[in-house]
Amino acid sequence: MAMEGKAQFDGSEIEYVSYNGEHHLPLIMNLVDQELSEPYSIFTYRYFVYLWPQLSFLAFHKGKCVGTVVCKMGEHRNTFRGYIAMLVVLNSYRGRGIATELVTRSIKVMMESGCEEVTLEAEVTNKGALALYSRLGFIRAKRLFRYYLNGVDAFRLKLLFPRPESNFPTDNESHRLLTGGIQPEENSMLQNSM
Amino acid sequence: MAEKIEAERRRAIEVPISPSIPSGEGTVWADASSLLGLACNDLRDDELINGENFNLFAAMSALEIMDPKMDSGIVSTYYSIDEAIENGAAPVPLSFDRTLDVQRIIDIMDHLLSCEATWHKGGSLAQTVFSSIYLMRPERTSSHALLHSYCRVIRATSNAVVSAVSDARTNEEEDLFTMTYGLPLKSEGDDKCLSMLHAVEEIISRQLRACKAPPSKKRVLEDIEPLQNNLDLEEGFCKALLCRLRFRKHFYHVLTCMRRPQGKGLELAKKHIVSCLSELDSMLKSGEFLRSNNACGTLEDGIEDKTTASGCQPIGFDSTLNSRSATPTPPRAIKLFSWKKAVNYFQKLLHDLEILCSYSSDPVFESVLRFVVDFQKFQPDLVARALVQLLVVQDGRLYGRDPMFAVICKDALLPDGAKNHDIQKNITVPQLEQLAINLLRVLCTNTSWQRRKLGKILQDWRIIYVQLELAFKKEYGDILRSSVDENLCIKICKHILIWVEEKTYWIASRFLTLGFELDLYSPSEYCMAYWYMYVILMKLAEKTHIKMMMSNETSRRKTKKKRDFVRDMGKDHQIPPAVLLFQCYIYVAEGLMLMLAALRNEHKVFLSLGPFNSEHERFIQHFELLQKACLPDNVSYFSFRETTIHARFSTISVYNCFKDAQRIAKELRDSFANDPDRIAELRRIEQVAEHNGIALNLICRLGTLDPSLKVSFEFTHHPYLAVAVVKRS
Repeated sequence: MAMEGKAQFDGSEIEYVSYNGEHHLPLIMNLVDQELSEPYSIFTYRYFVYLWPQLSFLAFHKGKCVGTVVCKMGEHRNTFRGYIAMLVVLNSYRGRGIATELVTRSIKVMMESGCEEVTLEAEVTNKGALALYSRLGFIRAKRLFRYYLNGVDAFRLKLLFPRPESNFPTDNESHRLLTGGIQPEENSMLQNSM
Repeated sequence: MAEKIEAERRRAIEVPISPSIPSGEGTVWADASSLLGLACNDLRDDELINGENFNLFAAMSALEIMDPKMDSGIVSTYYSIDEAIENGAAPVPLSFDRTLDVQRIIDIMDHLLSCEATWHKGGSLAQTVFSSIYLMRPERTSSHALLHSYCRVIRATSNAVVSAVSDARTNEEEDLFTMTYGLPLKSEGDDKCLSMLHAVEEIISRQLRACKAPPSKKRVLEDIEPLQNNLDLEEGFCKALLCRLRFRKHFYHVLTCMRRPQGKGLELAKKHIVSCLSELDSMLKSGEFLRSNNACGTLEDGIEDKTTASGCQPIGFDSTLNSRSATPTPPRAIKLFSWKKAVNYFQKLLHDLEILCSYSSDPVFESVLRFVVDFQKFQPDLVARALVQLLVVQDGRLYGRDPMFAVICKDALLPDGAKNHDIQKNITVPQLEQLAINLLRVLCTNTSWQRRKLGKILQDWRIIYVQLELAFKKEYGDILRSSVDENLCIKICKHILIWVEEKTYWIASRFLTLGFELDLYSPSEYCMAYWYMYVILMKLAEKTHIKMMMSNETSRRKTKKKRDFVRDMGKDHQIPPAVLLFQCYIYVAEGLMLMLAALRNEHKVFLSLGPFNSEHERFIQHFELLQKACLPDNVSYFSFRETTIHARFSTISVYNCFKDAQRIAKELRDSFANDPDRIAELRRIEQVAEHNGIALNLICRLGTLDPSLKVSFEFTHHPYLAVAVVKRS
């Protein structure tokens, strides 16, 4: 890969901070607008960072914001689940583990908060994101047909945390008749790129 | 904008409160508009309300992005169609210069084709085809026969396509497709579109004949008024129009013929498909003439992404006009297909439909499954998938012809008399019929959705098995214990039960293979995916074999135990080709599983390691639905570990797996000599086995000596059976 356009820096120069106020919001918005294909309104950002500030992190290099992760968590069909809404690292800063560090911090908080699993969507063409999440233990649980506004399919990625004790379904449970169709799990169309 | 919103709100509040909402005890209705107004004034730009019972998610959901009432960022040239018309956005005629009028009509036709293709591929109807102001106001075009007839056939065609897709319900996630709210899809008189189109076509044909006639005959034809003023261009314009009109005519016929009950229109549809394809060719040929004689001068940028053959911008389209009323979701930003891409789309669609029309309507369930699965390999789009489903399932019958119980009996290899047996009156049987119909329907959906749905219905198939078993036991005694003197009734019960099991494993195997086709497994998960495929295919082969043996009265024998069963199959000359074909897949899956396991164990590659969980969690997530449905009983992550943990290149029988697969595939060629699809599949299996055998030898010989050796897996020969590629890094 050509190193042109790549920022020169040492990994220790990157500073990671938890979201801590309104002054961080424009930094996050600028990054996401710059690097992701989906358009989001300011309300989308507010929704996430106001309700789950502890799950959002920013990466700075010499005072410049070069990466961010925005997440949420909550009950979803009887499962307490974390959701990674946006993960962005400036193009020139990619490939140096910043995204991994950002998302790992969020996932740790989710795990400590009692989440059973973490999900997100990523474009099927986004090889970088898919490789990163695969390294972290995410599987591609589903393919979502033409999920994004640009017509590209998405994968729903899922990370299941180890369960304290095996509570795999017993035979009785497995004979329950399934009724009804599949509901879309998330209405928000969010994506991840790094 | 804010004032406008405020005024609208006031108006909304002033509406008298509906008497259907009575004031209860202790509750009184009060006018809250002033309070609301004050609260609105308190809100600044970009702020959201966040309260105890109105959280940010609720606030977000209440917002309608791109609704001009709430989203001041939405920009439209016009606020209504009438306003657009008043401003001359869609004149009739398009020009008083008749040449220009013809040029512009052709541009409209071409742009509509681009719109239509974009719609079929996932755009909303309102923002594509019905972005045409002419289509939106049917009465305005009536003075212009050519434009009017064309608009009519477009509306009628759109209507036919919408009804096919809605009837088929293959559009689960593509429901945007059938949203037609507020669009004049069924304008009065559109049903006569073909006769109008025919009349116009007739006139232009005469005009074409007239301009081509030699001078001696010209006098006879002189009473025919030419299409337009420039006689040098007359022939070119007539031809360009004729192929466009004829394409519409034949395409409409294709749709109506294909909808005839019991596939009775398929032969005729095929003829119209051939005509459609030839008219599309003529349209492409007309491109050069239209480009060099266009009305908008030389084109600055290339023709490739233009929505018309001439390269000119068409008149009378505005995709923002309908955005308010047409969909409940925010309108999506749509990039229209270019005209060339649109033509290619229709060529692909017609080729898909041609395959459909050539299908023999085979009444054997297994053949139908195979046909639909094979058809999906061409990656048909929504319209073709809807039509295949409507052909296969009509009125709860196969092809609208064969009752499902009869189809099941036939596929369960029961004698012909079984289909009229009273057993079908048992309440569980109609449920089984419904499951079989649902399965066919699901197989017609897009593969992403299909896989999820297949995973879910596995549970239903397991349950119906239990229910049928109970019902049969209750009514006909313990069928499992009676093996002598079977009467027809018991025979039916037994056959149907084994058939249900066979189909359940078939669904499970399709679920697993689609995982590869959809790229859901990462290379570190291939090992477990092939292990599961191997396990499921063994069961599928077993059930199919039992079914076949049961139907053969003379060779009635007890089935061997599970483990011996498949091992012995290769040696048994009695084994039917269908089962041997499964055996090929089993060997390849087993070979791949063992090769991957050995690579993991000895080379420490393709391992599933991560900071947050282990391979066990990944296994649970991938195969949860199979495990929940106990497919098969008593297998778990630990069985996978047990099978693979000791695999070593020095000991594994993987070499024989690939060799055996190759050998059986070769032997089977004669059995499937009349089935070119199966012959092609056998060839693919042979290639996969051969390549993997070679790769395996290479890894074994060089593997430990050469640490720079890199092994990867590719799907170059088969959609779900991988081929190992060995390279030096």
